[in-house]
Amino acid sequence: MSKSIMEWVDARLPITELVKSQTTEYPTPRNLNYWWNFGSLALFILIVMILTGLFLAMHYKPDANQAFDVVEHIMRDVNYGWLLRYLHANGATFFFMAIYIHILRGMYYGSYRAPREILWWFGIIIFFLMMATAFMGYVLPWGQMSYWGAAVITNLMSAIPVVGGDLVVWIWGGFAVGDPTLNRFFALHFLLPFVIFAVVFIHMWALHAVHSNNPDGIDPDFKKDGIPFHPYYVIKDLYGVGVFLLVYCAFVFFQPNFFLEPDNYIPANPMQTPAHIVPEWYFLPFYAILRSIDFLGSYSKLAGVIAMVLAIAILFVLPFLDRSPVRSFRYRPLSRQIFWIFVIDCFILGWVGYNPADATRFNGALPLIAVGRTCTAIYFGYFVLLWFITAFDIEKPKPLPKSL
Amino acid sequence: MSAIAHAPHHAHAPEPAAPEEENRRDFLILATSAVGAAGVAGAAWPFIRSWSPSADVLSQATTEIDVSTLAKGQMITVPWQGKPVFILRRTDEQIAAAKQGDSEKLPDPAKDSERTQKPDILVLLALCTHLGCVPQPIGTGNFGGFLCPCHGSHYDTSGRIRQGPAPKNLEVPFYTFKSDNVLVIGKVAG
Amino acid sequence: MNPIAFLRTVALAAVLVLPLSARASSGGPPLPQQNWGFLGIFGQFDNAALKRGATVAVQVCMACHSIKYIKFDQLKQIGFSDPEVIALAESQSHTKKDRMLSAMDPTSAKDSFGVVPPDLSLMTKARKGYEDYTHAILTGYLTDADRQLVDRVMADQKLDEKEMLELASALGVDAHQPDKVKETLKRIQEGGNFNKYFPGNFLAMPQPMSDGAVSYSDGVENSLKQMAHDVTSFLAWAAEPTLMERKSLGVNVMLYLVVLTVMLFAVKRRIWAKVEH
Repeated sequence: MSKSIMEWVDARLPITELVKSQTTEYPTPRNLNYWWNFGSLALFILIVMILTGLFLAMHYKPDANQAFDVVEHIMRDVNYGWLLRYLHANGATFFFMAIYIHILRGMYYGSYRAPREILWWFGIIIFFLMMATAFMGYVLPWGQMSYWGAAVITNLMSAIPVVGGDLVVWIWGGFAVGDPTLNRFFALHFLLPFVIFAVVFIHMWALHAVHSNNPDGIDPDFKKDGIPFHPYYVIKDLYGVGVFLLVYCAFVFFQPNFFLEPDNYIPANPMQTPAHIVPEWYFLPFYAILRSIDFLGSYSKLAGVIAMVLAIAILFVLPFLDRSPVRSFRYRPLSRQIFWIFVIDCFILGWVGYNPADATRFNGALPLIAVGRTCTAIYFGYFVLLWFITAFDIEKPKPLPKSL
Repeated sequence: MSAIAHAPHHAHAPEPAAPEEENRRDFLILATSAVGAAGVAGAAWPFIRSWSPSADVLSQATTEIDVSTLAKGQMITVPWQGKPVFILRRTDEQIAAAKQGDSEKLPDPAKDSERTQKPDILVLLALCTHLGCVPQPIGTGNFGGFLCPCHGSHYDTSGRIRQGPAPKNLEVPFYTFKSDNVLVIGKVAG
Repeated sequence: MNPIAFLRTVALAAVLVLPLSARASSGGPPLPQQNWGFLGIFGQFDNAALKRGATVAVQVCMACHSIKYIKFDQLKQIGFSDPEVIALAESQSHTKKDRMLSAMDPTSAKDSFGVVPPDLSLMTKARKGYEDYTHAILTGYLTDADRQLVDRVMADQKLDEKEMLELASALGVDAHQPDKVKETLKRIQEGGNFNKYFPGNFLAMPQPMSDGAVSYSDGVENSLKQMAHDVTSFLAWAAEPTLMERKSLGVNVMLYLVVLTVMLFAVKRRIWAKVEH
């Protein structure tokens, strides 16, 4: 009976065929390590964010006079409103953690190399969309950090020559960040996650066309070294989700404000900027790059913005910068070293971004702006150096295994 | 690095396990699935509950009114759960008219004594049982009671339907006397 | 994962967390860490302390500050009876259904203090240092003994070494920077409200209370330190009345997740048993 129903459906919508080709018979390398868990984990978090966000939107009001109060109404009056909000606010943090690990994994194992360029590009587009979504979401509670974060980031647009000033006014819908800004940011914050979801679909479509890379970075013989996605990676990913939920829920239930700034519990006040404003931690390295360009006089502002955008956009050309015959850094000693320098450099940039612009260390002997400039140079230096050592065969890769 | 421990497969599960091991595996997978499904159901609960009336709405589930200042024949309209409620301190004539109505042939029979806790205080949910309009104050309709202007329903001094299209008497909301003069409409929710 | 790779991961995790936990301080002496029983996974609010704190909040704080996200009625949640709630509300010319709004209107507050006193509903979440900050501000004003020292210095009387150190500690400044001490003392003399824990040291709020300002009915000593502790606890409750619900649900969720994750791990191991990887 159920068999004939399935046949009837399959003749019209080939579900069985899809499930077979994409899961139970979709071949995956058998040697993927736990760093490969973070892609599906990011998808899981995206779903959590969309669900909690949807239910928060049912109580939220994008009105400059009510937004702050209504967030407290959610926290206090709505049944489990505190849970929805803390899941959502901390979810953003863990979404970025998963995505950063996912990106770095791709960089380390050469997952951006041919034939995975388009897969990689759509990943970067997702990252850009996530940053836009997170930024606009952070504005919605309408606290001091929300307000001044929005003011500072939208003001970046004013660096664009000729049209910059008008552009900022257009984005604000007024002469400062205000009610119209909040309204449009809410609408976009609601829309963009679904756009992300659609791009994730393309990302996965591209993935299933070229198949997963693997830690050895060689093209596997799936007849010999392939295992089906289901049940092997389904259960491995689910186990990863379990471990993730333990960490995530520990923060949500016991330290929900750890990643939030106290200033955002003060209602937005356009007349007074907090003493020290910082973006959310996931923007800090890019914020540090923005601030580190301060030596070009009147061009500094524009150059800073360009450097910040370039810091991410440069990932688009990474597939062409890397000329090594070998994908995985496992077999590329020099690339591996500069990779770890790059990772540490990103953390230092984040730390610089967290500190005030004029902060110093060692009794003023070490201004952090100098650290920021050096680290910015190292950040871009990674890409130049990677190109240099691979284009001129300076790196001698270790021998690759014949199979996985 | 050899392939899967046993025979090579093209994207297929490795060799099936021995039967008893298979059973144990089945049980483990079944138990894990059950625990996981319970978790998903549990996680759905906060989302479902977030639609129920929130604390600030529930705090308006009851309305407290001091009726000591109401003079005989005076009527006030108070909001209760977002709906209008008439509170009338009836005159002796209005009480007498209501008692007299007890013996009339009524579309929706009810005794006046069942509709009031104290004879002089009448509490009515002021929504016409026809199509939900708010009737006009006391004395506007026939029988000395309330007229619903929308479709001409007449309610008497006990709020009972006497004439017109409405099928039922005006509803008497749940209320209690907290003290002699303080009326609490509604039940404490949650 | 080999040991070296593991160590590298741990080191990276440490680098990630360090800059986040190293909260930038605004200068001045470090906030004294208080013992808050309601923090921690199993910490509970002490209702007796919350009730004392609510009394302090109503009698002292609400002269100028509102606690607008709490209604008097909600005080029943921390153990007040209905008549007690009504009495508290009526002492501020409110009914029990009203929000805890100060009788002082914002305009006249701005006229007398130069600023609108901030709402206290979220105070313990809205400042770096959280509960410790609120407690520190309430106890960071000069004591009468400190003031005598200040007066003596300004009258050009010599202080001995011990008194100098006492004064420096009360001011929260380095005794070896006499210029800075002098300038601070001058501003105090001119009538500024000095508080050693407030960023910038001078704030619009005069010392709100001192020992014995509020009488306690439960026999607990009404010292400044005790009252500051009680009212801060109360404000922590007001900032997040769902705190206990959150933590008790959290414990159950964590227990469940441990079971689920262990089971998923077992299934994973079993399914992967036949695959060399």
